[in-house]
Amino acid sequence: MNGLARASIRFRPASFIGTFVALLAASIVAMACGSLLQTGLTARVEPVRYADAPIVVSADQFARRVVTSAGDREEIAGVLPEGARIDASLAATILAVPGVADAMPDLAVELIGDDIGALTGRDWSAREIDHAARTALVDGDAPGPDDVVLDAQTARSSRLAVGDMVAVTAPDGVHEFRVSGIVAERTATASDGPSASTASAWFADGVAPSLAGAPGRADAIAVFTNDGTDIGDVKDELSNLLGPDGKVHTGSARGELEAPNLPTAKELLIGLGGSFGGVATFASIFVVIATIALAISQRGREIALLRAIGATPRQIRRMVASEAVLVAPLAGAAGILPGLLLARWWFSQLIDRGAVPHGVQMSTGFIPAGAAVGAGLLAALTGGYAASRRPARTPPSQALGDAAVERRSLGRVRRVFGIVAIGGGVVLSIFSYQLDGGSAAITSILVVMIFLIAVALLGPAISRAATAVLGLPLRRGSASSSLAAANSGANSRRLASAITPIALVIGSSGVLLFIQSTVADATRADIRNGLVADYVITSDGPGLPATTAARAAEVPGVDSAVGVLRSDVLYNGFEEFEAADAIGVTGDLSQLDEVLDLGVTQGSLADVGDTTVALDHLLAQGLEADLGDTVDLRLGDGTKHSPRVVAIYDHGLGLGQVVLPYDLLAGHVRAAYEAEVLVAQTGGAETTTVADGLRALDIPGATVTDRDGYAARVDKDLELEAWTSRVMASVFGGFAAITAINTLVMVVFDRRREVALLRLTGTTRRQVQAMFRWEAAIVAITGIGLGVVIAGVTLNGFARGATGGSPYVPPLQGLGIVAGAAIIAFGAMALPARTLMRRPPKAGGE
Amino acid sequence: MFRRNRNHVETGFPPPRPDTDPAALVTVAVGLRDVTRTYGDDPNPVRALDNVSMSFASRTFTAVMGASGSGKSTLLQSAAGLDAPTSGSVTLGGTDLGSLSENKLTELRRADVGFVFQGFNLLPSLTVLQNVQLPLRLAGKRPDRRRAEAMLDSVGLSGLGGRRPAQLSGGQQQRVAIARALIADPEVIFADEPTGALDPTTAHEILGLLRRAVDQLGATVVMVTHDPVAASFADRVVFLDGGSIAGQLDHPDAATVARRLSELVTRSQGVAS
Repeated sequence: MNGLARASIRFRPASFIGTFVALLAASIVAMACGSLLQTGLTARVEPVRYADAPIVVSADQFARRVVTSAGDREEIAGVLPEGARIDASLAATILAVPGVADAMPDLAVELIGDDIGALTGRDWSAREIDHAARTALVDGDAPGPDDVVLDAQTARSSRLAVGDMVAVTAPDGVHEFRVSGIVAERTATASDGPSASTASAWFADGVAPSLAGAPGRADAIAVFTNDGTDIGDVKDELSNLLGPDGKVHTGSARGELEAPNLPTAKELLIGLGGSFGGVATFASIFVVIATIALAISQRGREIALLRAIGATPRQIRRMVASEAVLVAPLAGAAGILPGLLLARWWFSQLIDRGAVPHGVQMSTGFIPAGAAVGAGLLAALTGGYAASRRPARTPPSQALGDAAVERRSLGRVRRVFGIVAIGGGVVLSIFSYQLDGGSAAITSILVVMIFLIAVALLGPAISRAATAVLGLPLRRGSASSSLAAANSGANSRRLASAITPIALVIGSSGVLLFIQSTVADATRADIRNGLVADYVITSDGPGLPATTAARAAEVPGVDSAVGVLRSDVLYNGFEEFEAADAIGVTGDLSQLDEVLDLGVTQGSLADVGDTTVALDHLLAQGLEADLGDTVDLRLGDGTKHSPRVVAIYDHGLGLGQVVLPYDLLAGHVRAAYEAEVLVAQTGGAETTTVADGLRALDIPGATVTDRDGYAARVDKDLELEAWTSRVMASVFGGFAAITAINTLVMVVFDRRREVALLRLTGTTRRQVQAMFRWEAAIVAITGIGLGVVIAGVTLNGFARGATGGSPYVPPLQGLGIVAGAAIIAFGAMALPARTLMRRPPKAGGE
Repeated sequence: MFRRNRNHVETGFPPPRPDTDPAALVTVAVGLRDVTRTYGDDPNPVRALDNVSMSFASRTFTAVMGASGSGKSTLLQSAAGLDAPTSGSVTLGGTDLGSLSENKLTELRRADVGFVFQGFNLLPSLTVLQNVQLPLRLAGKRPDRRRAEAMLDSVGLSGLGGRRPAQLSGGQQQRVAIARALIADPEVIFADEPTGALDPTTAHEILGLLRRAVDQLGATVVMVTHDPVAASFADRVVFLDGGSIAGQLDHPDAATVARRLSELVTRSQGVAS
């Protein structure tokens, strides 16, 4: 029997091209996503700054909580948005451990130097962690309490020499330091990447932590051991000694402390590779099954002949399975290289956009390749088995006579499952809002897939209904249009297999793109409604010093100036920690609406204090919190905080979803720079004068803009998400487009005999082509209509929960997707139809 | 060899009595008893076969004729076990087909029945030789290359075993189909309009092959045809009309068959009008 399958493929490859293409596309997607997933799971960053310290001790960089679901206790960890610092005095405790030669606290603080720009400050004693040669003094002396030591490159480019004064901006304001010495080189960390490193500043011990607002704390403590000491032993000893107060890192785990966004990057990669890849693989299996079903149904005559001359149903099924086993690995293997290239491009883009730290290597190999081939094989076997059941069972006589005639009725099982799928999709679309943007995209695409399964199950009934409606005008038209109507009516199954992938194109790419545009639009609307300040001072660097608001308030014509401190806080989502954008503002909260009108609907912002909080209504809804309820939060450094809700407001997107007291928030961030200062001018003040006055403050790294400038900055923050959703939409939409073209071409080429017959009976080329165009119109209109309904229902469910409004579809993009689907439908039907007619009409035509 | 009954029986056909007559058991290759086959829904069923009883003796060549829709293809399919009758029974080589599972039926078909159709007879992906060997391979036997080549020789296709069906003419394809039908040494060969798409010369050669299969190989051939000339190669012609047997003719010649056929058509038109 194997010989039969092999012969079929070798000598009639055309009938397997469709299956091959579907499997190839599936393999590319699976390989690309599998590589990202493996990279996400294994990603690590080799330490640069801590390369010489065999052990590094830090605080736990994760918020943790234990959830019990269905009797399983599971620990959930969330990356701390601000990172956590450790008590520097633990260095003394660590030093007492046998085998430890030295323990050096290390803390880096981001500063802005006048004429220098971004500057990383550390304590002088911490220079010994790095290569001694790099931090050896080449000029001058070690820093005193009011001194700074700079690296040679920075000193040169900023024309600073020993003895010069330099102004350094820290979160709490500007400090003057005297340059006391110059060291040879800059100090790099893993996250700097190959090309860039920031200017290094070395201060007297204790100065860097106090500039950071964290005296007595350290980012990490580098531990050196005596020669011949077993690192593992020391590590165990330290772990026991420190308990929950400190995490002990060795090997490449040390690199994670240098690239604090690594865990976030891993989450992103796992999300793209695992969740998105999982859904995409699920979709591709679905498409492969549908394609194989179509290919098998097109071979009805062949199967009937085999049955007549003595092939048992089992032998037919085995033949189909053997074909799958032969085609699937080939297609799977062919998809590995393009999949790898797609993954490489995607990954390098993520690094360029800062979503993945430098130094992470893409990791791929046998596992994603095996998964890609295996998934294809599984899909092909399932599809082949499912598709061969009916033709294998049909009495051979019936198959031989009726192979060209379709069964009309829809099985009851199919109808029931189809309706169940619609119901499931609707229910799921309503609940998808409970998730944040990233996972909402995944959930929504799942909802789309469930709807599409319904479409696939109910396809023949849907296409019958569509032809009944669209056929009315067609039947009254020309010979070509009435032929098209008759064909579509008589071949509702064939039509359904063409409609489903068109609906998939619209549904998947529409949802992936417009979830993001819906969020962006709602964010812009909140900013438009909530931001009433006349000017916004923002920063290009780490932020604005806390003194900015007070100085801005003294500019003539300024009525009020409010500093805004931003930090993400964590809350308990469904089986994971979710992050929300929290703000703390300077000055009197009751006066906030002069610059920022959050649209308070319940309670009052004036009540926000050390034990209370104000929440955006969408976040309150997500947390199921009403006025007076207590919500469990983790501040940026992991500190638990459970304030009572005293106000709920409307315009939180893009402005801030949580309002906490300024001082409380400032105590739990890495560096308490303000993100922006909002300025309102007095009535009648000269606009340009006020703006010039604010610019004249000459705050390092600051930009003075109006409201639009602020909105543009928020848009830029959303750019990574927008880009990610564009890539996901392209990958998914591209895959769907390939399979749609594939299916349509298969459907058209299968009609060789029919076209030959039409030509023999005197139908002109022009008429046949017109007939195919009309059929393409039925496919396009029905497929696009279904896709739009599916995307609409899904997006509506998402928008109602996530933004409280309705979905926003940028008109050009929306039209573009619809036009793309229409082009696919017409192109993939009209072009193959043309090649069909290039041959002279011939009867029989096998 | 079976002696043909030269008596002319105008209508009716004695039902086979395999149970009582041991001689009949040996000589009857295919027997139909009270076979009715209806198609379509309950309110308005189409009776393709209406209570038909007849038998095809071993080593005979029978042509089944009738107008379109007279039920001749249905008769063939029921007799060959390709289609189950609505009521009545079919025996093939002494086995009651109604009692067999689909798998057993397929095995029986593989061993005892050969098929030649009007069109789409061959698997385009297989070579001529592989097409001929296919029934043996489906039966799980080792395909005997020499035997298949000898079979091709006997149908006049020496040396063409390596070609693909698309490289052969229609007549050559039909010869391959006959070689395939004969390879498993079947009891009965069913042919459905085997010459329908061929020119007269080629048709003549194909019919000669079927005749030789009966005379030299001892096969039983049941052939559905429209063509009086084709029917003249048979030992006996059975006429069908409206799903019932409308008569038979032994030792037919083309002219008589054509006359009987036109009488039949005129009569049924007369009945209809």
